Amino acid sequence: MTADSAPREMITLRGVVKKFSNAAGEFTVLKGVNLDIYSGEFVSIVGKSGSGKSTLLNMVTGIDHPSDGQVVVNGQDIYSGVTESQRSKWRGKNLGIVFQFFQLLPMLTLLENVMLPMDYADLYSFDERPVRAMELLKMVGLEAFANKLPVLVSTGQQQLAAIARAMACDPPLLVADEPTGNLDTRSADTIIQLFERFVSQGKTVVMVTHDPSLTSRTHRNIIISDGEVIHESVSRALPQLRHRHMLEFSKLLRERSFHAGETILSREVRSDDFFIIRRGEVEVVLQDAQEKKYMLSNLAKDDFFGEAELTSGGKSIANVRAGAQPVEVVVIPRADFMRVMAQSPITAEAMSKATQIKLETQQIADHRAGTH
Amino acid sequence: MALTNINLQIFAAEFLGVVGKSGAGKSTLLNMINGVDQLTSGEVIINTDGKKTSVHKMGEDERARWRGANMGVVYQSFQLLPMLTLLENVMLPMDLLDNFHPRKSKERALELLDLMEIAEHAHKLPSFISGGQQQRVAIARALANDPAILVADEPTGSLDSVTADHIFNVFETLVSKQGKTIIMVTHDMGLAGRFSRALTLTDGKLLDAELTANMDLTTRRMR
Repeated sequence: MTADSAPREMITLRGVVKKFSNAAGEFTVLKGVNLDIYSGEFVSIVGKSGSGKSTLLNMVTGIDHPSDGQVVVNGQDIYSGVTESQRSKWRGKNLGIVFQFFQLLPMLTLLENVMLPMDYADLYSFDERPVRAMELLKMVGLEAFANKLPVLVSTGQQQLAAIARAMACDPPLLVADEPTGNLDTRSADTIIQLFERFVSQGKTVVMVTHDPSLTSRTHRNIIISDGEVIHESVSRALPQLRHRHMLEFSKLLRERSFHAGETILSREVRSDDFFIIRRGEVEVVLQDAQEKKYMLSNLAKDDFFGEAELTSGGKSIANVRAGAQPVEVVVIPRADFMRVMAQSPITAEAMSKATQIKLETQQIADHRAGTH
Repeated sequence: MALTNINLQIFAAEFLGVVGKSGAGKSTLLNMINGVDQLTSGEVIINTDGKKTSVHKMGEDERARWRGANMGVVYQSFQLLPMLTLLENVMLPMDLLDNFHPRKSKERALELLDLMEIAEHAHKLPSFISGGQQQRVAIARALANDPAILVADEPTGSLDSVTADHIFNVFETLVSKQGKTIIMVTHDMGLAGRFSRALTLTDGKLLDAELTANMDLTTRRMR
């Protein structure tokens, strides 16, 4: 992604619903998922077991098909008017897939395993294929093992070979389902470094994982809870909340925007919302009797404000206004905010500490401003 | 040393179990038999279709071709290709070896899936069937080129006991009805009684055959 071109959408999900039915009845695994992932992004998807994250991935890879909604990958609507065999062909050219268990064919050498997708997609000339497969094995540091069968190399090396195979047809998108789930930390790190390298070369990498140490290395982390996607502003601003509470907030929040410089909260005026900044910066300012302004702090994307007002009194403790650029926020109503906080002691405590600091800063500033 | 002075004869239509703890050398022994790995010294001679082959004397490529035609391999993790249907997965070894006409290879793959009682799912992708079903497909794939010998490394290692039992039944049928020779490695000593012969491997050595035979008898009596 270059700075001057608008990000291009690689994956778009609109209203994706997936229902399964079995003897026990019908079960909705994905409940209307909307999601945008852009070209050149490194995105992790997390969620508890059964949350629907692997099903979501299956919607993107075309392994399974949605009950409703639209999935567009690399500009192609992969379900409308596309036959299974067309989808399979499309997948061979556009998608690399890596699984937790490497799925290397045991009777083929690593080199032959890497050549397989080129044979299937009928890409690259017959003579080019082994050369390209060797280059890919070199890229993952396995050239010395090219002629070995999978059983003779370590599990970490098997996964590296599976990644080389996934990249065989040079797909713009790599999708990985728990790629490090079966590996020690060192091998896992090698794999993430490899993904980072693909991303630096302009590839898009989407990885399902349950390992929080890996999500910190991606550009974006998407959380799935009970078949729905959590609003990223909520998960970033309040990372300690339980997923179900994040989801509750995601459903209740409203989006609002303010012009540059517009007042969001006025001191001593009652405030009824909790705010998280989506875009732009807000300024927290005090004004004394002589209209002299004191800047208390600058808040940016994923910072929150308004919590002190909700938890201590209700009136705004400072003036808050949009900075030099327009500001977009999400707001959560007081009653909902208080209810969830009452059930989330860890977040409530972290927040009350932050509030305490804000109030103390406030008092010092007030003192300096001479209003007391 | 992974294996020390192993002397072993396996007979046609045997269902041979090699049991031992993790690290005892079971997989190494299997890799010697199917020519996946090279031995340091000694001989491995395999007699299939009336033709004796000195596995240890063959080069890598030759060994791979021989293995493709004479050995079926099944592992603990099923290693089915996720983007191919079950049918395509079973057809793959035939396509690779190119010894069946494409139409014939499809027909044969369906027969094998039927033998494994999983033909109704032939057009599904592996992620839509259970682990036990995937293992049955992996066995069908191992049988694709009609090998005389099937080697299985912990094939029931990641299955529950009911599913594992089903896999055992499949193996027993292959031995009794089709005359296949099956060599299976497991760390689960409790399975020893299910083989027609069980060998115990400890620290790279085969336990004294007579002792094993007696143990085998004991376990049989206990059953």
